[in-house]
Amino acid sequence: MMARRSPGPSPSALPSHSPRGLGAAALAATLLWALASGAAQAVGIPPAYAPLVIEPVGGPDRAEFDLGPALARAKRENKRLYVYLGASDCPYCRRYENFLNKNAGELVPHFRPWIVVDLRSALSTTSKQLHIRVGDKSLAYTEFQRSIGDERTRMLVYPSVWLFDPQLKPLMQMPAGTGTFETVDEQLEILNLVQ
Amino acid sequence: MTTPIHPSIGRRRRMLMLGASALPLALAPAARAAIGGLPANTGHADLSPEWELLRGRLFGARPIQANGERVQLIAPLRAAYGASVPVKIVSKFAQAPTLYVKRLHLLVDKNPSPLAATLELTPEVGQADFETRLRVDEYSHVRVVSELSNGELHMDSRYVKTSGGCSAPPNRDSPELIGRTIFKLPAPATIGAPSTADLTVIHPNDTGFELNNVTVMYIPSYFVRTIAVSFAGRKVFDADLDFSISENPTWRFNFVPHEPGELRAEVADSKEHRYTGSLRVA
Repeated sequence: MMARRSPGPSPSALPSHSPRGLGAAALAATLLWALASGAAQAVGIPPAYAPLVIEPVGGPDRAEFDLGPALARAKRENKRLYVYLGASDCPYCRRYENFLNKNAGELVPHFRPWIVVDLRSALSTTSKQLHIRVGDKSLAYTEFQRSIGDERTRMLVYPSVWLFDPQLKPLMQMPAGTGTFETVDEQLEILNLVQ
Repeated sequence: MTTPIHPSIGRRRRMLMLGASALPLALAPAARAAIGGLPANTGHADLSPEWELLRGRLFGARPIQANGERVQLIAPLRAAYGASVPVKIVSKFAQAPTLYVKRLHLLVDKNPSPLAATLELTPEVGQADFETRLRVDEYSHVRVVSELSNGELHMDSRYVKTSGGCSAPPNRDSPELIGRTIFKLPAPATIGAPSTADLTVIHPNDTGFELNNVTVMYIPSYFVRTIAVSFAGRKVFDADLDFSISENPTWRFNFVPHEPGELRAEVADSKEHRYTGSLRVA
């Protein structure tokens, strides 16, 4: 079963392909509302994927996600990390999570070599506020991306996915957003590191 | 002041844009469409209806070889951002007066303006390898067609999965810098051998499909149209460009310095503004 690809990355950081006419704008608003309505049904990676949920700490002006426990577990179990950054109020996150949920029967076996890490943020958390902690280092989003050689430094996009080995080495440059892997075949391409 | 480098190519590009925009959707083969109209397992070397149209308009009935012997295109299956997809063109032989790459065409099949760049080369390039960044608006093949001095055409292609490259928001922090044309040498140049240079033009390269979040109006297209690069007064290459090139158009290329001289670029944009940049190579 193939799911529809989302039209683009997160509405929080990138404007979507906005239509030119009022009618089209109304249609877009309706679609957005429909997406947001779906969000009420589930937030985060579906339980079938046994996600390691990480909530932010640090207060309203700083949302810090500690990857330490996930890395420790990855080393212990010799597994890769599938790190998902979602936002509680992000329709495109709900779309991806719903895709995972809908196709769990087919996809979960392919996620076995991975530990799925679910970083739960909010659209209001900006790239300057979002920090990633690894050991005694805590880096803001852009600095973290630079430190691992990820090209996604220009803007923070929800949702985002990183693929790491147990030493936090990126396994593949990932795209901003999840819109290009919301079909089973394409999700498998990602898991198989097809470039 | 300089004049546009290849007005005939500009005219041809506009015809291609019209032709592509008029392409009926019915031409899309059902076999390539998954549920929801998404492309299925498209191969890197596959053809596309858009390419068939472009091929006819650009090259007529001339045979095009796609055996990988003369040119290779390197591009990621998925890029970090659709508005900045890194591509590299690798030629499989050195430029020589007897046989050289005369022209390179860089295309994005499904972009609103599919012909991203046409480069007119001379043997002064030394090695016809180029790197740049493209806007890719939707799942599409990216192609390079290498036209040799003996008339042969060679093609390589990659299928790129991304979207929104032509409508991504602009990133203009310093509009006063528009037009600044900067050369850099990643390594010292070698006299008599192909040496690598980077050329960047600070420019928004607006597509016309980007939305101004404040005014909620579309930003008119405004992009670099031509770049002419020379060394010590000798042409290295001319580029006829379009908004399918990412903002701040950047090209990595080679040139052969036969003696110390000036690397120079003359740039013109779609508002007929002209800029120059130069670098003394010792």
